Amino acid sequence: MTATVGTIRRVWQTLSAIKTGVILLIVTVIVSAAGTVILQRPATDPDEMQRAYSPQMLRLLDTLGLTDIFHAWWFILLLGLVSLSIVAASIQRFPNSWRFFSRPYKSPDETFRKALPLHAQISIPNDEAGLSVAERVLHKAGFKPERLVRENGFSLFAERNRISEMAVYIVHASLLLIFLGGIVDGLYGWRGFLSLTRGEQSRQVQLQNGKNRGLDFAVRCDGAGQENYADGTPKRWWSDLTVLENGQVAQRKQIVVNDPLVYRGIRFYQASYGQTGKVDKLVMFATPANGKGDPREIGLAVDEKVALDGDTTVQLAEFIPDYVVRDGQVYTRSNQVDNPAAHLVVESAKTGKAVNVWLPPIPGFEQNASSPYNFKGKEVQMAYFTGLEVSHEPGQWSVWSGVVLMVIGLGIVFYLAHMRLWIVPVRDARGQWQLWLGGTSNRNRDVFEQRFQKLVREIEAEIKVQPEPGAQAHTASLAGR
Amino acid sequence: MARARTEQHPAATGRTLVVMVGLGVAFLLFMAFLNVVKSGNVLSESNLLYAALVFYAGAATLYLGFGVTGTPAYLRFASLATWAGLAANTGAVAHRWYEAGHPPFASIYEMLLSFVWTLAVLTLIAEKKYGVKVIGTVTMPVAIVGVVLMQLLRTEVHPLVPALQSTWLHVHVTLAMLAYAACALSFALAMMFLIRDNMKTETFLATTSAFGVATYLGILTRFEKWGGLSVVAWNPQEKSEVFISKGVRLFVVIPDLGWLMLLVLAAVAAPLVLYLLSRRHNDEGLIETANRAVFVSILLQALALVFFVLRARDGSYGSLDADGLFATSLAASPFILSGLVGGIFVSLMYLLLLWRRHDLERMLPTTDELDRLTYRTIAIAFPLLTLMIAAGAYWANRTWGSYWSWDPKETWAAITWLVYAGYLHMRITRGWRGRRAAYFAILGFAIVMFTFFGVTYLLPGLHAYA
Repeated sequence: MTATVGTIRRVWQTLSAIKTGVILLIVTVIVSAAGTVILQRPATDPDEMQRAYSPQMLRLLDTLGLTDIFHAWWFILLLGLVSLSIVAASIQRFPNSWRFFSRPYKSPDETFRKALPLHAQISIPNDEAGLSVAERVLHKAGFKPERLVRENGFSLFAERNRISEMAVYIVHASLLLIFLGGIVDGLYGWRGFLSLTRGEQSRQVQLQNGKNRGLDFAVRCDGAGQENYADGTPKRWWSDLTVLENGQVAQRKQIVVNDPLVYRGIRFYQASYGQTGKVDKLVMFATPANGKGDPREIGLAVDEKVALDGDTTVQLAEFIPDYVVRDGQVYTRSNQVDNPAAHLVVESAKTGKAVNVWLPPIPGFEQNASSPYNFKGKEVQMAYFTGLEVSHEPGQWSVWSGVVLMVIGLGIVFYLAHMRLWIVPVRDARGQWQLWLGGTSNRNRDVFEQRFQKLVREIEAEIKVQPEPGAQAHTASLAGR
Repeated sequence: MARARTEQHPAATGRTLVVMVGLGVAFLLFMAFLNVVKSGNVLSESNLLYAALVFYAGAATLYLGFGVTGTPAYLRFASLATWAGLAANTGAVAHRWYEAGHPPFASIYEMLLSFVWTLAVLTLIAEKKYGVKVIGTVTMPVAIVGVVLMQLLRTEVHPLVPALQSTWLHVHVTLAMLAYAACALSFALAMMFLIRDNMKTETFLATTSAFGVATYLGILTRFEKWGGLSVVAWNPQEKSEVFISKGVRLFVVIPDLGWLMLLVLAAVAAPLVLYLLSRRHNDEGLIETANRAVFVSILLQALALVFFVLRARDGSYGSLDADGLFATSLAASPFILSGLVGGIFVSLMYLLLLWRRHDLERMLPTTDELDRLTYRTIAIAFPLLTLMIAAGAYWANRTWGSYWSWDPKETWAAITWLVYAGYLHMRITRGWRGRRAAYFAILGFAIVMFTFFGVTYLLPGLHAYA
């Protein structure tokens, strides 16, 4: 039992030692640096990994977790140890600082006065005169001196920025908040990808590991587009998104790069935009082949069927963006609309006769001559997809509040020093009144020293111009004793 | 030998230097003005930059003159020249900003423009507010190197791709520039501390040489078989690097340049080797040889720079990954160029120290003062670093949906932060002062430099824009 307590205490002491903290920091630095030199999954694709390392090497690296250092269990453990060390070190030092903070030492005894490195003495006519001048000067300098009763009179105590004693703990706490956010996101956060064409909606996101994740709501893309600069480089990508919950529209937003849609903590980012190689609508003019009738504009999506008159219908059976005929087959070379071909089927309801129409007419496939309508292409409206990065990071608010807290904490650490001043009237060996002044600051001692000397000079100057104290003041101070 | 030279030199040579620099500046500006009048375009960005270069060069000469002789008149005119250079520089920044429609942080060129501007401002602040008068001796040559690099890396105004159109990005980069400038200042102060603290000149010799070795080793990671040096291919029409696929650049091999770099590496390493030998055998004579070797290495480094500039400027070379010849340009290799120029600059600084150490020491504040100032600049740099990382994370979160993705630049920024955090802990809780603190400050800046240059050059990742 006592042995366990002893062990725990020893572990705790080791953790809270600054040496441990520094060693842990150094290890973290080395490991992180290694993580930038060794190729990391999944950012690097497997082919490249295999090119860069020999199979044995790769197996070794994989086993040690060196190919995904920042998500390896031992790296998380290392960060955990760093956090623990911060907590332990803070807890060990906190009570002392807290005593300092909550119960300031206001009335200095003689030992303290002798030990204080920064102090001065000024001759004063009597204790009260010295104290009141000191009070005035301190007020002017922005301090709020308080009077303390001593065994034989009064003394003064003034301080500023007492919060400075707590600053280190603020910074450490903020770091822990950031870590906490990171851990929460590591455990409960996820990232995925969603690709939508216009009008399409989805309730599923593809995660980075290839699995799918269902959403409690659906996202629909109402439109997406790209704007270019004059030189053709992309200027802006946008998507109009609608969130649907139980069939009801819950939220609408146009997102652009740098401005996501957020719904129930899940954020949708504009990540990419491009052609799917599929046609959204093929717009054509249809003219009756017998010449009786005007041309009519029709728009067709793939597989869509439109009635041309009471009997005849036309259907877009296939759209080939970049066609080539080889071995009696029609193929596409690419998804670019470089050399498009459309396959239409014109059908008569009465006879059930179907005619294959090809635009442009491809010999061996087309039966354009026997179609009751002639078709002329007007434009091809391609379907574009918008690529959305989806992420859920429940811990991010902890991270951001940690960042804000850290900036505040660092501001206090570096720029607000806890300054303390003690002023005590004392009698010297010859029984003359002297004003003893002492001060200390927890940071930037050199600046404080100059400030202290300036205060001393000011008090000295004021005491000199002060007229000889009247008998009344003297008696008052005597009576106060 | 160094001491003897110093004594021959009169302490104050009067106004000769001021007059010479003044005449030089007037002459250069006048010549430029004649050209400008012919072309009819007075206030263009390149003219403003040229003016800034001339003034900064004048300031650097005068600061160096002040650093060496301590004549106060030099300092006054050096400050004036810095102010004039800053005015021209501000004009160039404003011009660029107006023309591009965004703050000038989008390319290496624009970042250098802002960096030099920040450096000039900080120099004047350090001089006027903190009384560190010799700081210009270090910062102004750096400013010159920056402006010269800019002339070589001139780029057209590029429109911003969607991911870069964000206020947060500008905040991020501004903070980075400020933080890095503060780190540079703390480094310069730590160096001055070491000089003032009677650190042996040989030690500076060894570190100068080590810096050169690291730089050339970095460059030689691009060494190709049979003596070539691969550099990124450049498309002169689009004024951009050539990419094979997303994020993968096409490299071309400049033949024989690798051998030259290897030779320079040997020359740069020689002083370090000689230094180590002298330590081993307790032979002071070897240090003399090492100093001579620095001379040789400067000549060879200059040669390497000239060859690199000539061959990389507008040549076409074959590539290992694709058939045919591809063009390259200096703008495609900003890091090699900075490395070469930086190496020469550091060696020259060493020579200044070698010959004029006594005078330099006289000009410096006390060790205590320098130690405190180093800490103060880090006290400025550290919160700025924190804010920079936070702004970057916030921007990444808005753009990619992830505030931290462990990409190499991010990781190294975090490492920089940790190193400075270590410095602060050692200083505040362990009371580290003096040399140990100075070493830490130097280490911190070395890591900053690696994060800024090395990571982009050696470890590509998400920060592919810069």
